[in-house]
Amino acid sequence: MMQKPLFKIFIWVISTAFFFLASAVIISALAPEPSEKQIMSFMSGMMNAMSSSMMGLSMSLEQDTDLKSLINTAAAVTIPLILLATLFGLLLKLRRKKYAR
Amino acid sequence: MLAQRLQLNKEKTKLKVKFDFVIHWLWTIVFSLLALSGLAMVGAKYGWVLQYDIAKADYVHRVLSAVFVILTFISIVYEVSRAIKNDNKKLTWFMIGKGGYQLFTLITTLIFIITGVIIWVCMDSNMAAVAFALYIHEKLTYLVLASVVWHIYKKCHALIWPVKKQDRNLKKNIAGAK
Repeated sequence: MMQKPLFKIFIWVISTAFFFLASAVIISALAPEPSEKQIMSFMSGMMNAMSSSMMGLSMSLEQDTDLKSLINTAAAVTIPLILLATLFGLLLKLRRKKYAR
Repeated sequence: MLAQRLQLNKEKTKLKVKFDFVIHWLWTIVFSLLALSGLAMVGAKYGWVLQYDIAKADYVHRVLSAVFVILTFISIVYEVSRAIKNDNKKLTWFMIGKGGYQLFTLITTLIFIITGVIIWVCMDSNMAAVAFALYIHEKLTYLVLASVVWHIYKKCHALIWPVKKQDRNLKKNIAGAK
């Protein structure tokens, strides 16, 4: 697998990404204090995140009691189902092992 | 007989992808994206990394953190099951283990997850805890990024492009002719 050309390209891309990240940290840490424009862009980005991302979703969820109860009901049904399915899968695997012998 | 041999050859040439290998590279992809999205949210100095699109960074970071926790959980369960079976075979590609860089990865990952959970859960209630967890989360990211660069340097042989068989034969022939 490691000798496949496509995989080599993938490794190169990932390695380059990490070098980019390390250099981004150095550039940002050593940069002069942020300008007012940069601060404003960051703040407006944060405000956008408050309204349109998961941060905002979780905040609105805290206030929406209907949605909260719906999620709680769905979780109460789904979690036992997942546990049952896992248990059933394990049982099936053990039974197959037993018959394979 | 011939059919059996053919079958054997087929099995030999079949691509065998190991579990630790798959987890290693999945982990790498997830971690690189988490680091990228996390860096954009550190502060105004770092926002340029994602063009100050904090909403996207936040979304990606939250979704991938769940994947990261699942991958860690699977890895720990796998390692524990190996320990129960007394399986001491060294998994060369696995990220977590008993010593060296594998142990460092395990410890840093657990700190990442614990501080991340504190940040997520206490965001609306305990700001002091969030501030402390954010400080640890951020500084640890720099340390881990530096360690990843060192890790790439140590394993740089993986980056060497494979030499084709034809080229090798050609070189041999040229050397022979000389």
